[in-house]
Amino acid sequence: MFENVAHVLEELGKQDYICDKKIGTVVFLAQQLEKPVLVEGPAGVGKTELAKVVAAATGRRLIRLQCYEGLDEAKALYEWEYSKQLLYTQILKERFSQAMSGAKTLREAAERVAQEDSVFFSDHFIVPRPLLEAITSPDPVLLLIDEVDKADPEFEAFLLEVLSDFQVTVPELGTIEATQRPLVFLTSNNAREMSDALKRRCLHLFIDYPTEADERRILELKVPGAAEGLVSDVVGMMQRLRDLDLKKLPSISETLDWARALLALNARELDEDLVNQTFNVILKYEGDVRKAQGELDKLLQKQAIREGAPVPAPGAPQKPASASKKGALH
Amino acid sequence: MQKKILEFTNILRKSGIRVSPAESIDAFAALDDLSVEDREIFQDALRATMVKRGEEVPTFDELFDLFWSGFYDNLRDSFAQATGELGEMGVDFETLVQQIVEMLNGMEGDFGDLSELARALLTSDLSQLENLIRQAAEGAGADRIENFLQVGFFSRRTLEGMGLEDAREELGGLADALEQAGMSPEQIAALRKLIEGLMEAARRSVRAFTERELQQQNHDYMEKFRRETLLEKSFYHLSEEEIRKMREVVERLAQRIKNILSIKKRRLKRGKLDLRQTLRRNMSRGGIPFELIFKRRKKDRPKLVILTDVSSSVANVSRFMLQFVYSLQEAFTKIRAFVFVSELGEVTPIFQEKDISEAIEDALEGGTVINVYTRSNFGHAFHHFWQNYLSAIDNKTTVLILGDARNNYNDPRAWCLREIHHKAKNVVWLNPENPSAWGFGDSVMDKYLPYTDVAEECRNLRQLSKLVDSLLL
Repeated sequence: MFENVAHVLEELGKQDYICDKKIGTVVFLAQQLEKPVLVEGPAGVGKTELAKVVAAATGRRLIRLQCYEGLDEAKALYEWEYSKQLLYTQILKERFSQAMSGAKTLREAAERVAQEDSVFFSDHFIVPRPLLEAITSPDPVLLLIDEVDKADPEFEAFLLEVLSDFQVTVPELGTIEATQRPLVFLTSNNAREMSDALKRRCLHLFIDYPTEADERRILELKVPGAAEGLVSDVVGMMQRLRDLDLKKLPSISETLDWARALLALNARELDEDLVNQTFNVILKYEGDVRKAQGELDKLLQKQAIREGAPVPAPGAPQKPASASKKGALH
Repeated sequence: MQKKILEFTNILRKSGIRVSPAESIDAFAALDDLSVEDREIFQDALRATMVKRGEEVPTFDELFDLFWSGFYDNLRDSFAQATGELGEMGVDFETLVQQIVEMLNGMEGDFGDLSELARALLTSDLSQLENLIRQAAEGAGADRIENFLQVGFFSRRTLEGMGLEDAREELGGLADALEQAGMSPEQIAALRKLIEGLMEAARRSVRAFTERELQQQNHDYMEKFRRETLLEKSFYHLSEEEIRKMREVVERLAQRIKNILSIKKRRLKRGKLDLRQTLRRNMSRGGIPFELIFKRRKKDRPKLVILTDVSSSVANVSRFMLQFVYSLQEAFTKIRAFVFVSELGEVTPIFQEKDISEAIEDALEGGTVINVYTRSNFGHAFHHFWQNYLSAIDNKTTVLILGDARNNYNDPRAWCLREIHHKAKNVVWLNPENPSAWGFGDSVMDKYLPYTDVAEECRNLRQLSKLVDSLLL
């Protein structure tokens, strides 16, 4: 249990997760209000990671439900184990005939079978999927519903019951209520807008790209071997890259990959060749790489200025881009 | 505090952020669990409970600053200035007030006899002052403020409502009484100076409050106004700045269409029973069909061939059409895009490879594909298309033509369009000119009209989006 926001930050810090107060506040509120959290933000900023570290920090078991198009109740909630049921009927055939033997009419036999009905629709033959597992778990768990935007809108509607009342209904068994309310995290990449009904039930958290200082701290923590010069070069470069008009902006996970790659190459600081060789680690589209290469001079040159003179005003890198656009209009 | 939060909720709602009652209850519950001391946490808590869309976050933050901090800081600054002037005269504010209270107690009068406002002013009780200003502003109806010219009016009404003049007389009377009671002349002078300073500070604060109110009320209004006018504005009159802003609008419209499409697609999902799949899936259960598999019915996504006139006269319309089509690429099975002035060239590969702004600039410039510095010749372009690309059209293809049909008195060669029309599912012509101008001067629209299924005026973004809507849905 977290006591206050500062405590949240401290505990998450112990799990090597660096975040700002905004995230801490929402996590704390999720615990206090027992409400699910909808985490949105660009890919690779640590949305899923957040759920994992919260689970680790609170000692809860993590149950993950990965969403995709076509995900249905059978995959998310529960499924009857048909094969097992079938097998049992085969094995128990004898017992059935025995039970049935006294029956004089067909009707009576059918009634006897009906009485045994509950044998086959019991906990015994149910396969719990993540949602049911999270609800029925005796110890506290953290339920992560990952990339909920990838699932169909119908599935979203179905989630509502789980998220607001922490209960699920299995027609054959009745309504099952949570013994321990799970902490729920939903992540979304905004592939599609979530319904208002779902949003209303959740706390909302938008995680953006980290600030320069945060990114530096994360890098120092996660890639301990990197030289200080390299860290500041990489972070500065990433921050400026995000100002460019790219198809896919590099995220914190790319920063880490890049730093690790550079470390493996024994780099101590960035230079033009090195950047050119390793661009494909951070940029995932051919067009983006070309664009960044075009701006490479500026990206690196500015670094040189930064080392000697005061930092140029933010937003400066956008100017040349718009100027070239203007030229193209005529 | 509760009241203030509710008021803030109302302002959010006015600015287009939908906050349901359940959400404001959440906000209260959240604040119960948190200390309100930390401004940042307070803001985060409200944001997490009330704002559920990423794009609404900036609006929220802006309004939060306006609502929660701006004013109190302003108040503090104004009054710090008033009491600071006192310091310049060599009198300490605290001791002066202390002395006044003592002397009042000595006389028959009591400090409590003063009006609320006078007391709050004299002791610089800022939160009390804030409350009084808020109440008076509410009484004066300052939340109905609409434009800058009304700031003076509403400030004056608020001041009257507060009874600032009365407070001034009251404090003046107090100074007189204290003088008679034997306070030193320097101190009386300081006190009078202080009273003037306080009056000025109060006036300034009220004005600041009204201005802030105006900003809050206008926040959404301006935004909406900007968007609406962009939608309606004719493509011919767009400035470069507006073209850039327009991109967002186009993207938003395209996103909406995409959302609708994805819902439609899903509704159509279930088709007939798929026997083969069903047997296969149920093999493990001895072929007993426990689980039924249905075929997915496919809705034909339209194929699109788009012919865009990129001559300077219609360049803006073409730009947005291309932008639209680019953003909606995945909604079509196949798009082939062509640009023409007199020559005709295909830009489909550019569409697939490059990112949106680059692709569109390239397509419009046509530099590598066609020569754009000639005079429009629709006939020539259609003929060229008929010769080389007619195979691109089948009975599922919609042909979308964008141009003003101003043919510079060249041969319209309408028969080419007839052939195209014959092969295609339908032909849609978007013309940025008003229908009344079609066929006049060098316009050959009338010659082409018989061979189009839909021909519409498309002069602004609203018309354009409506057309794309009907094309897809």
